[in-house]
Amino acid sequence: MISLLLIQMATTKVPEVRDITRIERIGAHSHIRGLGLDDALEPRQVSQGMVGQLASRRAAGVILEMIKDGHIAGRAVLIAGQPGTGKTAIAMGIAQSLGPDTPFTALAGSEIFSLEMSKTEALSQAFRKAIGVRIKEETEIIEGEVVEIQIDRPATGTGAKVGKLTLKTTEMETIYDLGNKMIDSLSKEKVQAGDVITIDKATGKITKLGRSFTRARDYDAMGAQTQFVQCPEGELQKRKEVVHTVSLHEIDVINSRTQGFLALFSGDTGEIKSEVREQINAKVCEWREEGKAEIIPGVLFIDEVHMLDMECFSFLNRALESDLSPVLIMATNRGITRIRGTNYQSPHGIPIDLLDRLLIIATSPYTEKETKQILKIRCEEEDVELSEEAHTVLTRIGMETSLRYAIQLISTAGLVCRKRKGTEVQVEDIKRVYSLFLDEARSSQYMKEYQDSFLFNETQTAAMDTS
Amino acid sequence: MDEVSQRVLEYLTEVEEAAEDVLTTKQQIVDLDTKRNRNREALNALKHDVADSEKVKVCLGSMFIKFPKAKTREMIQKDQEQLDKEINDLRKGLKAKVNRLNEMQGKPELRGYSLSPLSTDEIRAINSLLKR
Repeated sequence: MISLLLIQMATTKVPEVRDITRIERIGAHSHIRGLGLDDALEPRQVSQGMVGQLASRRAAGVILEMIKDGHIAGRAVLIAGQPGTGKTAIAMGIAQSLGPDTPFTALAGSEIFSLEMSKTEALSQAFRKAIGVRIKEETEIIEGEVVEIQIDRPATGTGAKVGKLTLKTTEMETIYDLGNKMIDSLSKEKVQAGDVITIDKATGKITKLGRSFTRARDYDAMGAQTQFVQCPEGELQKRKEVVHTVSLHEIDVINSRTQGFLALFSGDTGEIKSEVREQINAKVCEWREEGKAEIIPGVLFIDEVHMLDMECFSFLNRALESDLSPVLIMATNRGITRIRGTNYQSPHGIPIDLLDRLLIIATSPYTEKETKQILKIRCEEEDVELSEEAHTVLTRIGMETSLRYAIQLISTAGLVCRKRKGTEVQVEDIKRVYSLFLDEARSSQYMKEYQDSFLFNETQTAAMDTS
Repeated sequence: MDEVSQRVLEYLTEVEEAAEDVLTTKQQIVDLDTKRNRNREALNALKHDVADSEKVKVCLGSMFIKFPKAKTREMIQKDQEQLDKEINDLRKGLKAKVNRLNEMQGKPELRGYSLSPLSTDEIRAINSLLKR
């Protein structure tokens, strides 16, 4: 993730052509815009897509402020609660309110199990993706509108060409003598009178920004790509500062490339040597000492953290103590359960020593009123209109089965409604999809009744192992 | 005038002054750059047109003075160095002034504003990242 902050380097942009209407896909948490807190960090009942969970949201808000101020780094937060109580929603809310400049990396606990990469490597990469480094690039440039280019070719055809380039801004105008090299690059860029160009002083690179507005009527026919810009203001020889934010992982990747540009495409696969990481750490720390870089500790969010095993937890313990460490947010829906890969029971499936380092935020089940609100927000998000009675019925279903199931029913009921050419989802539509799709409880009930007619039914006695 | 409006007025005056300060510095940089470019043109002209031993006519203020070429060049070069330094100083000062103005208006400080730039070598090293 790279954001150009101070000054966006204006380069010749090909205007974006998008003739296919893009349909935004709707994710389960696409309605979340933030944590829904006011300035005093007090949660509003319904705001920015968040409903209820006031205590947990306030807690998350406090943590958010600390992250923003850079007070906490190398700390960890655990969001714990039953399924469907908005854990991921809170994490999404934190991510949304952090803004584009703070790195936020999300991964699910099971994502780290891959044959191509060791678990610790996957975790290290995730950690380093969540740390941003802010650096500044400074260039001296000459920026102006071309008034005239005059190139004299020697009569013999060979030999050095000489020329003059007149540039102006709104305030001044000057003539530059051109050497051979400059003439070549000017003609390569097809620079002509009326263009607005920049010349990098250090490298001599010429960039065309567009054509000046005052020359807009020079030709009637011109390509759609011709961009018109204002004649630059101020001095001709400017200093341009651009601030970039890159992640530590990105710096790692370039430096571990031994085989050149090909590695650019292979991207993250493959492991990065720990020596490379150490070198990068040293370099970044050196930059920080010299005032050349700022380190922005971001947020690493690990969902379903109980899916991690013992090795990963001990890695986390260690990684949190590093001085270049992001804020770690984890979420789990497990109670006291076995730690994966061991026979020990532990709260949330997380070893006690790690649990001790965590700030724990608990989420509680939604009340009926809150469920109703959430369903309403989801309806708006999915563009489904719901009648008052249908809304009540859906809320009941949500309370009795699960919120997720009720949310699933929204779009399916919407489809059924559209099929009968209705505009508003009625109770009948809900009833129909309720009979079509089973919820978890009814499905298990069904299983119990018809167990014998299913395949492999001898395994019925073994409890499902989910850890 | 009551106390509140007095205070508001004072505050606004202060902000206006700070803004004026920024604008003046900017204009000053523009003026100095104009001068710098004119000097550069003069140096170019000296390079091409006349033999070294000759004297050239230099316009100083409102007067044309005949001056030995070598000496003229030396003079202009010294002037250029002085100008470069002055522009640099002004730019440095401008940053502090913009910061002060932002602070007065209650705007947050620009991100990475006070960073010192990476050297060209370092920028080149991570260029593939930046130009993406």
